[in-house]
Amino acid sequence: MDADPVTATVHIDAPPERVWDYFTKPGMLVRWMGEYAVLEPEPGGQFTVNVQGAPVRGRFLRLDPPRLLLISWGYAGSDRLPPGASTVEIRLTPDGTGTRVDLEHRQLPAEEKSGHGVGWVHYLARLAAAATGEAGPDPGMRQLPPLGAERAPGRHRSR
Amino acid sequence: MSTMDTVTEAAFHALAEPHRRDILRLLRDRPQSVSEIAGQFDITQQAVSLHLKVLRDAGLVAVRPQGRHRVYAVRQEGLAGLRDFLAEFWPDSLQRLKRVVEADDGR
Repeated sequence: MDADPVTATVHIDAPPERVWDYFTKPGMLVRWMGEYAVLEPEPGGQFTVNVQGAPVRGRFLRLDPPRLLLISWGYAGSDRLPPGASTVEIRLTPDGTGTRVDLEHRQLPAEEKSGHGVGWVHYLARLAAAATGEAGPDPGMRQLPPLGAERAPGRHRSR
Repeated sequence: MSTMDTVTEAAFHALAEPHRRDILRLLRDRPQSVSEIAGQFDITQQAVSLHLKVLRDAGLVAVRPQGRHRVYAVRQEGLAGLRDFLAEFWPDSLQRLKRVVEADDGR
């Protein structure tokens, strides 16, 4: 059973055309979300971002620039919310001289009483990094190593 | 900084130390007392106690009495559930987005 969607709204004092780029260009996305991103802003293209060590994996499902973005959202290695399991819809609506951003995160699984929250995804991601010897003695969240077989920030995968 | 960021930060700090990660792995199998845990490491029981305190402060383990002992167990609910996490994550993220975009304005 699905939980209620998570919604969030913000007004930004900039036109939708400018806000759009902060969702579709990796260098601009990581300035407000995550440390590492690979984005292919076309239908079916990958939406990859590591947020505080949690490996968010999804795809761009629909792009209607600069008004609507639909992205699938899951976590690599997660049973609760694997890649493709949920969708995030972002609507950019002109609002005066700025933009209203309406975000809706849907198809989230209903919570179990003592279920594995995303915190455990973070935790297991850190353990996985530690197990491969990549974790230093006191890695800050900004210095987390790339997870798994991923490449350096900003580069596309070769396949 | 949001509550979730603080919690996550504390958890990451706690997990940055290899002994603490090993302790968590042990406790994932079953709850154990300090002396049981210490018996599986080459560090002192006092050092194990200090590590357990950090893990407790980060909300990753909980302690409860069991007979004459106190046993430590992983705390599944220590970090927020998925929906709760996202319900904080998205508004926080959009606020960061707003700050970044508006700070870039006029460049």
